[in-house]
Amino acid sequence: MAIKLDLDDIQGLIARGYSGLPHARFTIFTAQDPAAARALLSWLLPRVTPAGRFTGDSALHVAYTAAGLRRLGLPASALDGFTPQFRSGMTGPDRSRFLGDTGESDPRSWDWGGLREPPVDGLILWYATTAEVLDARQAELAARLDAAGIRQVTVLDTLELGNNEPFGFHDGISQPVIGGLPKAKGAAAAGTPGGRVVPAGEFVLGYPNAYGQLTDRPLLPAADDPRRLLPPDPAGSGAADLGRNGCYLVMRQLEQDVDGFWRYAGQATRRRDGSDDADARTRLAAKMVGRWPSGAPLVKTPDQDDPGLGNDNDFGYYHTDPLGLACPLGAHIRRVNPRDSLDPQPGTGASLAVNDGHRLLRRGRSYGPGNRAPTAAGPAEAGNNGHTERLARDDVAPGSGTGLHFICLVASLSRQFEFVQHTWMNNPTFHGLYDDTDPLTGSRHPRGATFTVPARPVRRRYHDLPRFVRTRGGAYFFLPGISALRYLDQLPADARSASFSSSVTR
Amino acid sequence: MPHQLGVTIQAPVAAGRAAELRAWLAEIGRKGLAEGPFDLTRCHGVHFAKLYLLDEMPDLDGRPIPATLVFMSEVDAPLHRHLAELADLAAEGIDQAFGHCTGYPGPGAGRRARIAWLRRHMIPASAFYVNTVGRGLEQIRQEARLREALEDYLDQGDWAGRAAAEIRRDLRAYVSRCPGLAWAMKPPPPPPLRFRAGETVHMVAVPLALTLLLPVLLPVLPVWAVLLRLDERHDQPFTGQPTLRHLDEVASHEDFGTQNPFAVVGFVRPGRLRQLTFRAVLFLTDYGVRHIFNHDSLAGIKTIHFARWVPLDGWRRMTFASNYDGAVEAYNDDFINIVWWGLNATFSNGMDYPPTRWLFFGGAKLEEQFKNTIRCHQVAVPAWYAAYPELSADNIENNAQIRAGLRGDMSPAQAERWLSLL
Repeated sequence: MAIKLDLDDIQGLIARGYSGLPHARFTIFTAQDPAAARALLSWLLPRVTPAGRFTGDSALHVAYTAAGLRRLGLPASALDGFTPQFRSGMTGPDRSRFLGDTGESDPRSWDWGGLREPPVDGLILWYATTAEVLDARQAELAARLDAAGIRQVTVLDTLELGNNEPFGFHDGISQPVIGGLPKAKGAAAAGTPGGRVVPAGEFVLGYPNAYGQLTDRPLLPAADDPRRLLPPDPAGSGAADLGRNGCYLVMRQLEQDVDGFWRYAGQATRRRDGSDDADARTRLAAKMVGRWPSGAPLVKTPDQDDPGLGNDNDFGYYHTDPLGLACPLGAHIRRVNPRDSLDPQPGTGASLAVNDGHRLLRRGRSYGPGNRAPTAAGPAEAGNNGHTERLARDDVAPGSGTGLHFICLVASLSRQFEFVQHTWMNNPTFHGLYDDTDPLTGSRHPRGATFTVPARPVRRRYHDLPRFVRTRGGAYFFLPGISALRYLDQLPADARSASFSSSVTR
Repeated sequence: MPHQLGVTIQAPVAAGRAAELRAWLAEIGRKGLAEGPFDLTRCHGVHFAKLYLLDEMPDLDGRPIPATLVFMSEVDAPLHRHLAELADLAAEGIDQAFGHCTGYPGPGAGRRARIAWLRRHMIPASAFYVNTVGRGLEQIRQEARLREALEDYLDQGDWAGRAAAEIRRDLRAYVSRCPGLAWAMKPPPPPPLRFRAGETVHMVAVPLALTLLLPVLLPVLPVWAVLLRLDERHDQPFTGQPTLRHLDEVASHEDFGTQNPFAVVGFVRPGRLRQLTFRAVLFLTDYGVRHIFNHDSLAGIKTIHFARWVPLDGWRRMTFASNYDGAVEAYNDDFINIVWWGLNATFSNGMDYPPTRWLFFGGAKLEEQFKNTIRCHQVAVPAWYAAYPELSADNIENNAQIRAGLRGDMSPAQAERWLSLL
């Protein structure tokens, strides 16, 4: 693949998840005053981290909602070039129904981004090597926001990056490898289904996508960019490409009922005499996820955890487990990334190619109270990884705010994020099922949700699954390329607040 | 079991009454067609039904086309029973709906006048796809109940350590002794002999006729192909974008359950070449869906329950309407990934379609252009009825296989395979 990515213009978050910067804080802001919004951007711009070589102790990224871009002075004609989902936002009634944000996940009850207040403007993400560095950067940002009179709608803290998400499972194992990045070369050579290289245009606008085409993005008449700040449309139309090197960023605060999840798994697997069966509990939880707590995939090790396979991503489903006897058809990881099990030709490259069009580049970070004890480090009971111990300490009370600040980066909100959410995760008839939604993260239908575990001789059905994940906030953002940020920064220069601008140190 | 019919009733809306009809449709949509004034649950064999309104617009020559109300139903034969029940049981709804249309006899009219009017306003589909021809509403519902009963039975038992063949025997015995399920031990009766004979004649006659015409077709086809290719060279990329308002209106009627209604409308390209091509392609499509893709899959897509292509206004416009599983994005992805060639061959004879090459290539493969053209031409379906809204086409086929597996002998491996359907 001879794609050359403009790494100096792409925000670094697309290229890396910052495993070396385990501390992160996300600030959601709204500026009442356009001048303040522009001044903030001027301050942020030189600090934004590009995707090229990175050596610093912190990284900063900024993304805007449609309301935020409007506030910066982007005219409606330019906004119309963004995808309809981005322009409408995440919270309309039809979209909520589509995304499963109903009942307790209804945007009317969200902590931020919901219907209780006007749409937010943007998102600033700080990543740092240590908590101290992060605090210093955040303090600087907070002071700047205060001075400008920009409201911090919420500041979302995250837990120090570890291997496990709050339910206790090794997470983030399967990520699409972006064509054009250095690591794509190695992955392509390995040729494994898990390490599949996906065309860059699935995650960065302005490059060929899985169909070999350029995804729709905002293109401006060249006259609207007299200073030639924006890259030209690579299709050669002569337009200025506001979208190139950017992507859509989906953010959702997903509260995880960790206690409820393990309590359910425990109750559903009690022995006849009513006693707890720790192995069975972990097995059921693993069936819901599709991986064991260590991350080992069930298709590779169906009967017990094997930490040696904790990072294994080299598998498909169709040839090894077509009926879901190892990894249930409705398990979380089999839904959100069905790999080679898709029609019309499952088990073939054609199936993987269809799958390529629905990948998400995940950049989420967990959140929760206090310092999360690494679950594997506890006095782990066999197959339990210390969950009961952790719960017994009562330090993860339900509703205390534990979960995931889910972030994914995509070129198409509809074909990627929304499709995965609706057609795979929350679809009761996914893969020939009837009443099952994603047992781990899915919404629940009024008539209840079932979890079906295929088995010999007869499948086991778990009825009336509680909902374990609730949406507490969210918005669709655009993560612009750095040229695009520069363009937005000079929009329309005459309206800029002179007093604030002069105080900005560059 | 009966075969299925796609009934389309279309009528121009009386001048000045479109806004009123739109408001009425919105109101009816909220109630649904399963309740008054339609209450299609009382009519026999209705799988799906929909009502939608096509706005008044000028045609390609600038002549006005009045607003048009379209009623569609997918229903088990016979037709006369369906029309009679629409005129009797759903009379209030039919009166209210078509009462907005030019020349409708009105609520005071007798049932014969009503039926006659409906018949006069029926228009034939050029092609009508049925997921599985001959699988009637009653059979779909019965087999869904059968599967639920078997699932519940399995939930209650302890099957550990038992062989699949033994469990199958147990399930068969259970079905046989349940008075409400005993029917399941027999295969569903096929459609009436007359229908099957007619279809067989059609299946043979069309290729025969084409073979006889070969001496004429052979020299014509290359000329046609070259003319078509020359015509395609004028194709322009589709740059239209649906407005948010239009998208919102369509979306407000979508994604309430497993299935969705779908309707698009567009102009047929002018000129004899395209008119002829469209008719020829739909003639072959009709053949394909009747004799090749008549069980479980439309050329690889397994999510469509029913679909039809209906020419309007003397082939000036075409509407395509279906009932399918999942969301429109996934539906479009299936079009692009699986039946792009079929989409291209038909819809490229309509206006605003992405450029094609040699009729079959390009077109739908241009993802964003294709999705934009579909979204721009999609029509909101404010009033929709689905008789088994929670069942996907895949579920229905699985249910039928569960029933089929109750009969006959099976090897242990076959019994194991059959049990995995549950």
